[in-house]
Amino acid sequence: MKVSVDIRHSVQHGDGTKPDWDGIMETANHQEGEAAAVKIGDSPLESNQPADSLAASFSLLENHMFPDPVESNGSAAVSRIEPVNSQPPDVSAEHLGLDEKPPSDQVMKLDPEKTKTECQNDVSMQPADGTTEDDATDNDQSDSGEFVVTMLAKAKLEEQGIGVKGRSSPLLEAGTQESSSFTSHRDEDVTADSWRQHRKHVFVLSEAGKPIYSRYGSEEALSSTMGVMMALVSFVQSGDNIIRSVYSDEHTVVFLQKGPLVLVCVSSSRQSEQQLQGELLYVYYQIISMLTQASISRIFEHKKNYDLRRLLAGSEKILDGLLNLVDSDPSFLLSAVHCLPLASSLRDSLSQILQKAITPNLVFSILIAKNQLLTIVQEKTVIEDSRLEPADVHLLLNLIGASSAFQAGEIWTPICLPLFNPDCYFYAYISYLDPPECTVCLLLLSTDKEAFYSVAECKRKIEEAMMAQNSLSLIAKAGTYSVSQVGVSDLRHFMYKPFDVPDNYRQLTQFTSPEMEAPYSSEEEKMRLLDLYRYMHGRIHSTSRPLKLIYHVAERETLLAWVTSKFELYTCFSPLVTKACAITAITKLLRWIKKEEDRLFIRYPPKYSTTPNPSKSSRGGKSDQQDSTDNGFLSLL
Amino acid sequence: MPEVSKMKKPDVKIVLLGDMNVGKTSLLHRYMERKFKETVSTVGGAFFLKQWGPYNISIWDTAGREQFHGLGSMYCRGAAAVILTYDVTNWQSLAELEERFLSLTDTANHDCIYALVGNKADLTDSKAQLCQDSDGLVKDRTECNEECEVPSGCPTPPASPTSLPGVMLRKQVINEDAVTLYGRILRYKGLEEKSSLPAEKMCFETSAKTGYNVDTLFETLFDLVLPSILRKRQENQQSPTVDLEECRMVGSKKGRSGCC
Repeated sequence: MKVSVDIRHSVQHGDGTKPDWDGIMETANHQEGEAAAVKIGDSPLESNQPADSLAASFSLLENHMFPDPVESNGSAAVSRIEPVNSQPPDVSAEHLGLDEKPPSDQVMKLDPEKTKTECQNDVSMQPADGTTEDDATDNDQSDSGEFVVTMLAKAKLEEQGIGVKGRSSPLLEAGTQESSSFTSHRDEDVTADSWRQHRKHVFVLSEAGKPIYSRYGSEEALSSTMGVMMALVSFVQSGDNIIRSVYSDEHTVVFLQKGPLVLVCVSSSRQSEQQLQGELLYVYYQIISMLTQASISRIFEHKKNYDLRRLLAGSEKILDGLLNLVDSDPSFLLSAVHCLPLASSLRDSLSQILQKAITPNLVFSILIAKNQLLTIVQEKTVIEDSRLEPADVHLLLNLIGASSAFQAGEIWTPICLPLFNPDCYFYAYISYLDPPECTVCLLLLSTDKEAFYSVAECKRKIEEAMMAQNSLSLIAKAGTYSVSQVGVSDLRHFMYKPFDVPDNYRQLTQFTSPEMEAPYSSEEEKMRLLDLYRYMHGRIHSTSRPLKLIYHVAERETLLAWVTSKFELYTCFSPLVTKACAITAITKLLRWIKKEEDRLFIRYPPKYSTTPNPSKSSRGGKSDQQDSTDNGFLSLL
Repeated sequence: MPEVSKMKKPDVKIVLLGDMNVGKTSLLHRYMERKFKETVSTVGGAFFLKQWGPYNISIWDTAGREQFHGLGSMYCRGAAAVILTYDVTNWQSLAELEERFLSLTDTANHDCIYALVGNKADLTDSKAQLCQDSDGLVKDRTECNEECEVPSGCPTPPASPTSLPGVMLRKQVINEDAVTLYGRILRYKGLEEKSSLPAEKMCFETSAKTGYNVDTLFETLFDLVLPSILRKRQENQQSPTVDLEECRMVGSKKGRSGCC
């Protein structure tokens, strides 16, 4: 097997050092008993060497994640590293070991300037004629235990097993998720080409490099890949830097470190780094919502190499569901909640029903229909303290959507709302009001673990009142609206997120959007439109050059995005629209939204008071009430 | 089920415990809805009300995941019966009952009844592959056959292998193991083996998929908890307040249920 790798260092001099893989393998062989065997040069003068090793690690990751199977001409990898310390990295005979913990408490931004390490990796894989897989396996065995070599051999084997080259649409997968949820992505062959073709991979690992979650394929099979990821993270960390992202031709790799967890996204979706980071943050929040931040830190404080999958077992579907939702629902992109359009009188009457059915320690009453918010009533003192963040609502909606078991019976489960308070649990009562259709769902959140029966009693009251007012059939008639109602001929679709919130009601950020209609009726087209919106959103919110207004003429449509102090608006027009036409259309659209405001949004979220002593329901008071022994993880430690 | 949800407080509580993926939700679903469907991992606990004659029996289907372990004792508080469920094809699931779940039952009633249930018997036992549902036997049988043909019909992909008709899996837990464990449970609870219910009566092998033994399990338990309901009612009657609504309901619902 002949493998040659050409790493060019553009930062230094054009023709820099050109280590080949054999060389690296040799280095690897010298490191006996080390899991990761990329050695960093021991002289500080040879500053190019650690960078080369880094580049080598990148290319290892590249080989596994996205090797170019046919023409391996080269893939440019640009890594963006956030400098946290202006000190030059200390490169005194350090091994890039997985078990080594660089000091992380010195993380502070001293230098706003960003260092950009650009490495040009020319990875040319040339299977020599007559090379058989046996050769590769032999190599593998002779160097068993050697991380780099194993990785290489693995990548090599994968090279040879080139499969069908076909891009699978993540939306199609999302669509079939329901039916094939049990022959799920967990069993996927991670060496198969189709695995690498996934649009967006998400990995979660612990600081010790232990796999916790992978969106596709089993975590065990990916432990070496995750090892390389952790190696990258800790290598950069050893220089008191934080790795943020790696760019290649096809993929963007984004890293996010949160407490003892490392989240990695490998995406070919062309989204901005900020957007991908935001999505990883959602994954982190979802994990927190199941375990709380406090117990995760406690677990890893006690045992650095704890296998968190023990606690997350069974929750993979919730994470899978979240990632599918993130890909297909713009709520996540906009960090806003989509509520179901409803006549304001009906919404008010529903709110009043919720307002009347209360019990001590009840803090939120939420009514959901067709996975969209109908109304939300909050405890008075809770509103004063803090508001419910859209992200917390998204997590709740995902929990309900991901658990079809909820469709029967009444659920009582602890859940943490990470943005409200990442360290303690609420107790959620979840029940459908219209079995067996199961479209209208009631969610009641209490701070009292033992309150199931009294909270269930609230549901009876709500159910009775709704029956009396015939609310269910009225809700059933409500639904999304068509863009044609706006009456602007060239307008195909829009998303409108207002910022003007009445001062007294620090209400939930919401957005409104019509149904996606032709030509965006197929899953692929829907995804394409969302991708265009993501692109516009990325440009508008770019950290380096934010924009207020973009007029973007795409291939098959024209888009206009506009941000003011009052709203954020994304519109999609037919391709032949003129700029002047689009501006007129937007004026018309804004007028229409203003007129329909009461129907499209929850205007004044009502409140109730369930705690006689107001201080008790304050944020601080709550964490006292729910001491950490409640969550039961202490028993594990 | 809307009329069920309007009912008052339940008379008695039964709790399903057991490791994840043993089929607790499927068992209950088979009994309540008379069919087998794919379920997802339960979150927290799910509460169901079953009408048994004039009585309301609440059944708590708990999550087997370690994540929710801390809640177990809460769900068990005041339980009159606990169904300890394991998977006959998975020895560890039986061991977990003793290691992880038995201590949760400390909060249950003193006279709590324990049942040991080995689920997924259809995977190891040909007689469990026959449908046992009392009603709609013919209809159900065809349904079962259809289900058996679907290889993904197994509710719990990671832990249990998919079943193919005619191919039997090795049974890892035999009934004798369960009987031995039942004895140990009685000893743990400090109960006399002679005065307690016999192990032969309290160890079941079921299949939520085909319905084998499922009705027998639940109905045996319901009959066994009746004395505890009656005692509770008697205690309530001694209290000065009379719950008129409850009496009315007993009268109206009696004719509807077909079990007694």
